[in-house]
Amino acid sequence: MTAATDQRTVLAVRDLKKHFPIKDGALQRVVGQVRAVDGVSFDLLRGETLGLVGESGCGKTTLGRVLAGLEKPTSGGVYFDLSEQQRTELDQALRAGQGEDLAQLEAAHRVDRLDATNWRRFRRNTQMVFQDSFSSLNPRHLVSDIVGRPLRVYKEASGSALTERVVGLLEQVGLGRQHLYRYPHQFSGGQRQRISIARALALDPELVILDEPTSALDVSVQAQILNLLHELQQNRGFTFLFITHDLSVVRHMADRIAVMYLGRIAESGETTGLFDDPIHPYTEALLRANPDLTGDDEGFRGLEGTVPDPARPPQGCRFHTRCEYATPDCGWEIDDVVLQLEDTPALFDKLVGVERRSPFDADLEFVDASAAAALETALHGDEVPSSMKAAIEQVSVGAQTVSIKFREVNEVLLTPRGNDRLAACVLDALPSRD
Amino acid sequence: MSTTSTSPPLTTSHESAFRVRLRRMGETSGRVLSNPTTLGGLVIIVVMVGMAVLAPWLVEPNTPNASQMPRDWGAIAVPPGSPGHLLGTTNTGGDVLYGVIWGARTSLRLSLIVVTVTVAIGVAVGSLAGFRGGRLDEILMRIVDVFLSIPELIFALAIAAVLGPSFRNIILALAIVFWVKYARIMRAQVMHVKQNDYVDASRVIGDSSWNIFRKDVLPNSITPVVVQATLDMGNIVLVGATLSFIGLAEAGLAEWGVLVSEGQAGISGGRWWASTFPGLMVFLWALAFNLLGDGIRDVLDPKTETR
Amino acid sequence: MTAPATNLQKTDAPVVASVRDLRVHFKSKAGIVHAVDGVDFDVRDGETLGLVGETGCGKSVTARSFLRLVPMPPGIPVSGSIMFHPRQRCTACDGAGCVACDHTGRVVSTCPACSGTGCSTCEQTGAETLDLLTIPERDLRSIRGNRIAMIFQDPGKALNPALSIRKQVAEVFYAHRSDELLASAGIDPSSHSLPTGLLRRRATQQSRTLENVLLSLPPLRSRRSAITAAADDRVAAALAETQIPNPRAVMDRYPHELSGGMKQRVMIALALACDPDLLIADEPTTALDVTVQARIIELIKELQQRHKTAVVYISHDLSLVRRVADRTAVMYAGRIVEVGDSEQIFHEPEHPYTRGLIDAIPGAHHERGRLAAIEGTVPELIDPDPSCRFAGRCDFAAEVCWTRDPALEPVGDRQVACFIHHPPEHGEAPTFDRTAR
Repeated sequence: MTAATDQRTVLAVRDLKKHFPIKDGALQRVVGQVRAVDGVSFDLLRGETLGLVGESGCGKTTLGRVLAGLEKPTSGGVYFDLSEQQRTELDQALRAGQGEDLAQLEAAHRVDRLDATNWRRFRRNTQMVFQDSFSSLNPRHLVSDIVGRPLRVYKEASGSALTERVVGLLEQVGLGRQHLYRYPHQFSGGQRQRISIARALALDPELVILDEPTSALDVSVQAQILNLLHELQQNRGFTFLFITHDLSVVRHMADRIAVMYLGRIAESGETTGLFDDPIHPYTEALLRANPDLTGDDEGFRGLEGTVPDPARPPQGCRFHTRCEYATPDCGWEIDDVVLQLEDTPALFDKLVGVERRSPFDADLEFVDASAAAALETALHGDEVPSSMKAAIEQVSVGAQTVSIKFREVNEVLLTPRGNDRLAACVLDALPSRD
Repeated sequence: MSTTSTSPPLTTSHESAFRVRLRRMGETSGRVLSNPTTLGGLVIIVVMVGMAVLAPWLVEPNTPNASQMPRDWGAIAVPPGSPGHLLGTTNTGGDVLYGVIWGARTSLRLSLIVVTVTVAIGVAVGSLAGFRGGRLDEILMRIVDVFLSIPELIFALAIAAVLGPSFRNIILALAIVFWVKYARIMRAQVMHVKQNDYVDASRVIGDSSWNIFRKDVLPNSITPVVVQATLDMGNIVLVGATLSFIGLAEAGLAEWGVLVSEGQAGISGGRWWASTFPGLMVFLWALAFNLLGDGIRDVLDPKTETR
Repeated sequence: MTAPATNLQKTDAPVVASVRDLRVHFKSKAGIVHAVDGVDFDVRDGETLGLVGETGCGKSVTARSFLRLVPMPPGIPVSGSIMFHPRQRCTACDGAGCVACDHTGRVVSTCPACSGTGCSTCEQTGAETLDLLTIPERDLRSIRGNRIAMIFQDPGKALNPALSIRKQVAEVFYAHRSDELLASAGIDPSSHSLPTGLLRRRATQQSRTLENVLLSLPPLRSRRSAITAAADDRVAAALAETQIPNPRAVMDRYPHELSGGMKQRVMIALALACDPDLLIADEPTTALDVTVQARIIELIKELQQRHKTAVVYISHDLSLVRRVADRTAVMYAGRIVEVGDSEQIFHEPEHPYTRGLIDAIPGAHHERGRLAAIEGTVPELIDPDPSCRFAGRCDFAAEVCWTRDPALEPVGDRQVACFIHHPPEHGEAPTFDRTAR
């Protein structure tokens, strides 16, 4: 969807972080932080559908909850409803650091610093539909209570006027007056999701955050709900943030897509372009693993390894531990050596300690010299990816220690790739496959 | 291109929310009562409560203090069926029938006061701890832990030792000990219910915390407390009777525990009635509330509460 | 109702299992739910049969019936049979593959009653035939995990959290391969001496406390550890086969220490440990991420080709079944509506339901908001009258669809249960041209 003149930005997200403390021991001391969302920036323009895709644990649901105002961000900002000019001002002010302009903008637009009136405006205008339609409807309330509740909260209607408004909403989602006085458990999964949608529509919001709205439904019902959502957007001009793990669904629904991996956006851009010509290896991996009805079996392939611990995200590019195109510049570090060691119990058991000077430079101490020598040999072996070998700047074997120094690498940030595309990869394009 | 789904037969359009809720309540009670043992429990409770409420009309109240048993020094330890003493008398001429009927009144008063007070405190504390969480939860739960470590009988004895033996002090002692149970149940429930998406959905709408608690959290958390309270209506009378039996209530009080204690001296002499009738009452009371409580639990258990 | 499917197969591979007129109903408050209501299909040696359908179509109940894992009650076995023909290693080539076994390395076991000459028990086929629905529980136990294995949707629930991976996988070998364990520990399994007896009981995990004490004493101890070592070797080999990196280290882990994908690999290792004839996979990748799912699918396919195992793959995900299955059976409301070659079915579906289902999957060709949704919901299966179960949601339904059960009958190389393809003898036949309702 092309930007019209003075395209309003419904949400501007700037370097957003949400960390959850890991507590341990009797005193519940904080021993670490799970970096669920770790530096995410994007704009959500009025009337568009932005798809947020990623696998479990990538932080997409947490991001959705922060944007919906359900969680407070750890740092960074979510700015609501900016004009094009305000957005430019915001970015200038953020670059300049603290200042009068920034303070003014934040008071009126930054979601966690809004005054009462502006908060109310944000709250009305940002609604959410959840994945689990069982859990998202109060089992003790009638449909009339559930759908009418937003109208009651804002004192928009009461008595028979309220009932009529509710009937109107139900009719918009394909239900009717006969469903008013029933309990949620009397409905099928698809119907319950319609009730959820009706509730989200009641206040005529600007933005609806859809968190896996069809993941629990059968395909035939999913198609009904997707059609309904599209129809509603056409008629009422909603902005959608569509969170899902299903690539076929997001391709069908989204104008633009942001692919998340381990708390970060790996790649974002216009849907068709991103699907036809992915730049980030993770996007490509997702597409190749997606079983659709058209492709042949040739390209169908999965990903090796597991998602790293979000409390200790990898240096450089977060995907480098599983990336088949990894280069020496992708952020190989001491943790990657330790991971390799864990797969070799004979050596790992002899590891006494790791003395880190930086994530890239450390001494690994073993119980005896032979183990240290064995590690050095292993580092040249076939088990170690060649790009990792190339990233090693220096290895020296002491009596019982091995000092390893990797090439130091900065974080890989999202960079513009033309055509509204951003990707966080050291490569300019994916190597062609032959 | 709006889509309609086929649905089960429709409710008629003149249906109102009030009627639907009423019908659901009716259906739920119907399900509770469809179990014969539950119904049996309820019948016993109705009879007992009827006895308690109608006591002044069933047996003429003693003057000046109706809660004291009348003494008929002319008929000591007469067996059941004697004129004027349908269930016989005790060694000290106390009318067993009077004790049984007015004892129901005492028991009802005891259990109602204790359950009302403890449920109120427990639900308030548990809700606050569970709903707010954080530091407040920590503090409240440590207080609860302290109370949990006090054995109720010994605590009641201590109270009696300090404040002197009286039925009022039994009520006080039980109230102090029993609320913690509800606080724990309630906290666990609230923390569980709070995680439901419908609570988040209400927050996204922008409803106030109080409304969210009142409409979403409380009604969905209260069931186990209701069940426990029903069971405790019986248990408290059992504990209360034990305490009166060991002499923590005023002597001569028209109460089942006191009466059992008064009659026990006669058991070895073959005068079984003075202890047996009040003992039977305690047994029936506790049994009836346990039957009802179990019945309610079976029906209201969220796992079975569908379709 | 029993439609022999033989002439419709593309392959001539022998049938491993044939399901005939399977009906499993469930008791509920509202009445009898006809969860599986007359299902027929064959599974052939070495093929993957996809069983696909939406929630409540009966695919899981069908799959679980193979090993009698449907809880009864509330389930009621109404009718039907699941005839299973176990295989054995080809004696001519000792499993290497030869002309006699058509290069599969295994041949059909001969009927024990007639030694393959043909009798009434084996219906003159000479092959060992077991009706999985009626054989004694004892016989079934020796088949479960041995000749027929199953993997489930949630590997977290299927693995015992209190036992290490080593113990759980070893259990299969102790249960079904004790003789081999004894042999590799250097003990003659056919000997009847006391020590062998003790060790045998050890190898089948039946030892009691006293026996364990005896076994821990010097003369027997070394041989006992030889059995354990033999079992460990097998466990490690089984895990390695599913490409678990570093199997010896994984063996000592507990399920909660492994990721979802890794747990599913352990489940697959467990299932394939005894080289079964038939593997039943009930939504094995639904709980996994797509990239992991793709790896698991690759793995299942690869192992299947190596072991020549027949696989029944149950899923709600059509695009996935298309990737996995050679043949696909589409189920709706307790019945199979269409069965045939996967490529054909996904390319040119014949049954209106299959068509609807495939059209409902969002693809690149769909304009947004124009997905072909199947309106309505699955009917309640409580005491249904004879009718096509799909009639209520079908765009083409005619009167006959509401009054009679369509039978699963051949259409080209496929079988379809629809009056469009098999017009009734009298009454108006539905056609694809007409949009009724």
